[in-house]
Amino acid sequence: MANSDPPLLSVRELTVTFDAFTAVDRVSFDLHEGQTLAVVGESGSGKSVTALSIMRLVELGTRGRITGGEILFRLPDGAVIDLIQQSESVMRDMRGNNISMIFQEPLTSLNPVYTVGNQVAEAVMLHQGLDRAEAMDRALEVFELVRIPEARQRLGEYPHQLSGGMRQRVMIAMALSCDPTVLIADEPTTALDVTIQAQILGLMRELQNETNAAVIIITHDMGVVAEVADDVVVMNQSRVVEQGSVYDIFERPAEPYTRALLASVPQLGSMAGRDEPARFDLVGEA
Amino acid sequence: MTDVMMPDQQELVPAGRDAWRMFLRNRAAVAGLIMFFGILFMTFFGPMLYDEDPNDIVARPFLEPGTEGAPAMGTDYLGRDVLAGVINGGSTTLTVAAIAAVMIVAIGVTIGALAGFYGGTVDTVLMRFTEFFQVLPALLFAMVVVTLFEPSARTISIAIGLVLWPSLARLTRAEFLRLRNLEFVKAARAIGSTDLRIISRVIFPNALPPLIVSTTLVMGAAILFEAGLAFLGLGDPNTLSWGLMIGLNRGNFLNAWWTVTFPGLAIFITVLSFSLIGDGLQDAFNPKLRGR
Repeated sequence: MANSDPPLLSVRELTVTFDAFTAVDRVSFDLHEGQTLAVVGESGSGKSVTALSIMRLVELGTRGRITGGEILFRLPDGAVIDLIQQSESVMRDMRGNNISMIFQEPLTSLNPVYTVGNQVAEAVMLHQGLDRAEAMDRALEVFELVRIPEARQRLGEYPHQLSGGMRQRVMIAMALSCDPTVLIADEPTTALDVTIQAQILGLMRELQNETNAAVIIITHDMGVVAEVADDVVVMNQSRVVEQGSVYDIFERPAEPYTRALLASVPQLGSMAGRDEPARFDLVGEA
Repeated sequence: MTDVMMPDQQELVPAGRDAWRMFLRNRAAVAGLIMFFGILFMTFFGPMLYDEDPNDIVARPFLEPGTEGAPAMGTDYLGRDVLAGVINGGSTTLTVAAIAAVMIVAIGVTIGALAGFYGGTVDTVLMRFTEFFQVLPALLFAMVVVTLFEPSARTISIAIGLVLWPSLARLTRAEFLRLRNLEFVKAARAIGSTDLRIISRVIFPNALPPLIVSTTLVMGAAILFEAGLAFLGLGDPNTLSWGLMIGLNRGNFLNAWWTVTFPGLAIFITVLSFSLIGDGLQDAFNPKLRGR
């Protein structure tokens, strides 16, 4: 890890509240170029809200308010800005361009009434000032980048004509279409079946090597963490409980919560010696 | 990539030929379309083919169709040709309905979209405004507007537009409420789309099918409204319309059925054609039905 560089994204004491409820409580972490950071935690631990706050999307259409902290982002020209202080129009220019996001549900993240090629081209046109034909060229390029077979033909298809894995590839293509420096993936594989999960994770890993984007991957799945992350932030009840490199977290989890999270993954071989299927132990019985 | 076939350049899902194919599959819709074109043809070319002035007295009053010397649809209480009236009365009715529909869609969709998309205070204010128009007795309000101003086709269109937009506004709002929290709207924000873009290019096309159906129904309602106003004597007395014909002849319905039945039939067919077309468009705009 080239941790000597100044961080690309630095979240400092971020606090987000929904009315009286504090969804994110003084969360801090750094993200460096080329790094994959996993934010792990159970449902409701504040990990998605953290991601939406970085995009400054948490305040749009919800009751969420960022009430404290700063989110320092290093622009390609080296200037560092605090995203929390930026106007909505500055943020609009950043979204998709500097920071992109992939959502959990590839089935519903694509607009059903446009062809997927159109949607990717749309994102390109928004930020790069290309005309439609040039944007379509770029869409084809990113489709090939994310290994969509018969990419040219796929450009003209509608979301409902594609499988879940293909749709998630389209989402990734859309997110990468403007060469963002930070990519936030909010549970990118949760809605996919296991074999497709492995493909998408492998793809994300390859793409990261090719584009050198920094990736924040939000997940509750420790298996995903082990496969893709360099560093891990463990969140529980709105707070960061532990952070460190993926080796430290897996080898020497310091916090009881992290250990509990790790223990919750069913282990291959735990059935060794039994001949018949067995049910999970009830809580407290183990 | 110059020689490559571009995927549909069209923005909307009803990618031309596909949508058309789905529309054609709905037999009733095709029938509606044929009826509508029939009405249009009659309105625009009828006066040339059947060269009879609807205001001329051509024969004895109350000649039943089929009797000797009677025109095809008989004559009314002044001896005017009913067929000529039906042919020439359509243009007023259709113009009024078209202008009213444009107004209804413009006001209804704008207000409904803003209310549904922004929610909160914007929604409350706009919906109270909508409700104000909704609780007005529609026909009475339209009558007042027409009475206060001159009873011209324009005034009548505006009056109809003013009373009929709330239903479309509420429907648009409901659709926007449903759609605005979906993932693809979030995704559109995440690529940096502006509110205007999200409203017009992301959510609106998804809200179209029910809106189109509703618009065709509302056009039917506008035609009935125009007829109703004319029937009550509030239409432009110098411009012939189907409603006016029914209004003028209503006292003779029991002894001369043809004087009101034929203009009534024209209204019925026009309204029915709009409903059937709306139904067909609903199929055509649904991408999930495509490719079957």
